[in-house]
Amino acid sequence: MIKRFFQQAYLYHKGRRAAFEAEEFVLMQIGYPLVTLIFYCLIASFSFKTTDLTHWVIGNSFLLCTNACIFGLGNLFVGERYYGRLRSIIASPCSKIGLILAGGVFPTLFAICASVCGLLVGSLVFHVDLTRIDLPLAAVAILCAMISAACFGLFISSFGLMSDSMHLVLNLVSYILMIFTGAEFPVSQLPLAGQVFAQLMPLTKAIAAMNKLFDGNPEGFWLNLLGELATGCAYALLTRLVFAFAERSAQRSGKFDMF
Amino acid sequence: MNFKVLFSTMKVQMKQSFARPMFRFCLLVNPVVNTILLYEMYRNSGSDNFMAYVVLGAGLMALWGCICFSSAGDINRERYSGTLALIYAAPAGFPAIILGKIIGNTLMSLVTLCISLITAVVLFRVPLHLENPLLFLVALLSAIVTFITISSVIACLLTLSRKTELYMNCLEIPIILLCGFVFPVSVLPNAVQFASRLLSPTYAVELLRMSVNGCEDPALFREKLLMLFLLTLIYAVLSAFLYKKIDRRVRIAATLEVS
Repeated sequence: MIKRFFQQAYLYHKGRRAAFEAEEFVLMQIGYPLVTLIFYCLIASFSFKTTDLTHWVIGNSFLLCTNACIFGLGNLFVGERYYGRLRSIIASPCSKIGLILAGGVFPTLFAICASVCGLLVGSLVFHVDLTRIDLPLAAVAILCAMISAACFGLFISSFGLMSDSMHLVLNLVSYILMIFTGAEFPVSQLPLAGQVFAQLMPLTKAIAAMNKLFDGNPEGFWLNLLGELATGCAYALLTRLVFAFAERSAQRSGKFDMF
Repeated sequence: MNFKVLFSTMKVQMKQSFARPMFRFCLLVNPVVNTILLYEMYRNSGSDNFMAYVVLGAGLMALWGCICFSSAGDINRERYSGTLALIYAAPAGFPAIILGKIIGNTLMSLVTLCISLITAVVLFRVPLHLENPLLFLVALLSAIVTFITISSVIACLLTLSRKTELYMNCLEIPIILLCGFVFPVSVLPNAVQFASRLLSPTYAVELLRMSVNGCEDPALFREKLLMLFLLTLIYAVLSAFLYKKIDRRVRIAATLEVS
């Protein structure tokens, strides 16, 4: 069972990366995200008139997972439909939750690498001192954040069962993450409804936990991370529910697409 | 140049572009989310005029996004539709058709500036001032011409590649960063500023910002306008030169659709 899960995860990864060349990998997976991180940190340095960009380096490093978890994973079901596998998945008696989660394994690993790279580059470019934090705790925060982001990506991918405009959905989601996770400005600036919505977003609590770590005030750190993991689990379950609905709808109406 | 071809291409291009969900995102959603994001980032900057960096910045970011994801990608779309060779060999002339597409896209993309303005006024009720409307009009017209010219250079270069999607993704943020769409170029390190000065949108943005904030030094405005004119002229010559080179290469190798 576990072997099959990882085999499936590897096949998903292989399927997504097979057409990639080194140039594409360097430009899209390394160069572009790092330029984006630098860009938003520069806006912050000018608009907030500060030279201490620690919070923005953390926030934007976490947001680097968007590439893998939102744009990469978000097209999961669109890809399944495109390659004609959606029919087999819906008709198969195997566990769907395992199948769905398998899609998130490698994007989570890539997202972790992207966030670590972001933190390293950000600390070099904007002089953020990484030695002042407890690195194992930071690693746990990154791990929780990326698991949660991958589960959110899986949830977003389920919209691919209902919409043919996934480019629009994924781009919108990437902006929603920028606005509501506290990566670009404090969540407290948002109106009350926005602050509540922010707590439902992945990354918000992990970014807050990481900021606490850097501020030397780890009170509530573990609570934030538990909240982050709970958010991730909720999104994974929601994905399963949406998929179950799609499955039933497909079996009843004989259609594999809901639009 | 056949103006009938130019106008009919513009019309068709506007309809085709608007039919694509990604373009609709760039045109309608992007300016709204960018305005929200930039407003929250600039909210505590101490500035009392949000026109220069929030409205103009968000509008220009969205406008550039439209250019990247449409003007630059149109050649690839024609390639995938199997119509590239037809429009290339048509007696109407490939440059007229491509120019029509670019002008159509750029003019339609100006809507982003209006959407950004409406978002800022309706959502945030922020104080907005336009100190010198006449100079703003001059700067805006110059910006439109320079965006059309730079788009034609990019479109020419991308004729030779099938990785258009990759390059247009990689062009978006770096140009916004280098040309100072949302912060002054002076924030950047000196070496990077040198690269910024080679890009005509840098001057277009500075002129727009000067007209918004009130032009205290008309000589400086004229100097920047002259630089913008010179660079636009260089881009136009470069575009014509590239077209001739590419045309020769494509006719000799017969690789237009598979390059």
